[in-house]
Amino acid sequence: MKHAEGFSKGLFRENPVAALLLGLCPAAAVTGRVIDALWMSAGFLAVLLLSSLCLSLLGALSPAAARDGGAGLSRGRWIGSLVITACLASCFDLLLRAFAPGASARLGIYAPLVAVNCIVLGRVELAAGGLSIGRSLRDAAGTGAGFAGALLLVSVVREALGAGTITLFPIGTFGGSLAVPLLAASPARAFVYATGGLLCLGYLAGASRLLSSERRRGESDRA
Amino acid sequence: MSWLGIIVTFALVDNVVLARLLGLCPCAGAPRTFRVILGVGICTTVLMAMSSLAAWALETLFLDPRDLGFLRIPCFVLALALLALLLESMALRISPALLRAAGFSVRGVAVNCATLGVVLLVTLERLSALESLLAGLSAGCGFLLALTLMSAIRERLDAERVPRSLRGLPLSLVSAGLVALAFSAFDRVFLANLLGR
Repeated sequence: MKHAEGFSKGLFRENPVAALLLGLCPAAAVTGRVIDALWMSAGFLAVLLLSSLCLSLLGALSPAAARDGGAGLSRGRWIGSLVITACLASCFDLLLRAFAPGASARLGIYAPLVAVNCIVLGRVELAAGGLSIGRSLRDAAGTGAGFAGALLLVSVVREALGAGTITLFPIGTFGGSLAVPLLAASPARAFVYATGGLLCLGYLAGASRLLSSERRRGESDRA
Repeated sequence: MSWLGIIVTFALVDNVVLARLLGLCPCAGAPRTFRVILGVGICTTVLMAMSSLAAWALETLFLDPRDLGFLRIPCFVLALALLALLLESMALRISPALLRAAGFSVRGVAVNCATLGVVLLVTLERLSALESLLAGLSAGCGFLLALTLMSAIRERLDAERVPRSLRGLPLSLVSAGLVALAFSAFDRVFLANLLGR
């Protein structure tokens, strides 16, 4: 029960994109097409899980003594953690380039930029706080799933409004692209550009706040 | 590309925040006071210029001749982190009080999507050493411009009556979207007209 709670916290109440407003750059930049958002989420989840694992192992090897004067991480450890996340993100980029060249071309610089994503960098600080490996992995899975869910939601809205289609994988006779009736004829192009990403994220964050305040009010009514 | 072309491209057409959507976290939570904005902006600009130059050096002197392109990202991140530490110790030496008063950590400002993104964008263009430096500088100025705009908008919005759930960051993001719409006027056509080609 407790495990499920730690996971669902990242998915809803502390959704990294909608509630905490972290990792906005990929969430705004690669959500113009659903398929790109899916690739990004998959890579992000993998990088986040693996970096949590590596960083907590590193933390277990060199315990909390590695802090300097309460000013955060020691320099050596900070650089080491950054290089670890950079190598993982680089692996994601290279694998994507090898096996999905089209997606890699569309994601462009955003695939390697997972290395310095706010959420991933947050793991560096968290791992320094001495979180156990199991708890760290559970948190990472919840956060990654929350990120993926938010990306999927934003990309479906943006692509449907901005291009009138929903692009997925081609499977068998299915060509990979669904046309949305009514919208396909005259889409609002601005939604697939930078503007649309920022607008959608802003309203998503607003909606998430509205929902959480409603829930809080419901809880206080019951009490 | 000409020098003017580089400046306009990296400061306006490919603006880090408003066109490439990098560095949204520092911009959406834009600091209120002008002094902090200036501090963050100057830190970022100096770092972008230095790291673009460092990336050029790494790329042409180390990675390309040895065919080590797959090590590009870890190398760039390492260079960026070392430069950030250098900048941090310099800032601590020059004015520790200002840094404490400003309330930001150089490390947090230095290593984020915006700085690494600029480095990657600059290396994609395959510029010369001086051109890379100039590109990094102009990208930093573009970042400072976006940061100032966002903070000014936020200050105005704070005085308005808005729905409670949209107050603060969500509304900042929505207004950033509208600013990005305005910035889409700076495109390739604008650049071609400006340079007379």
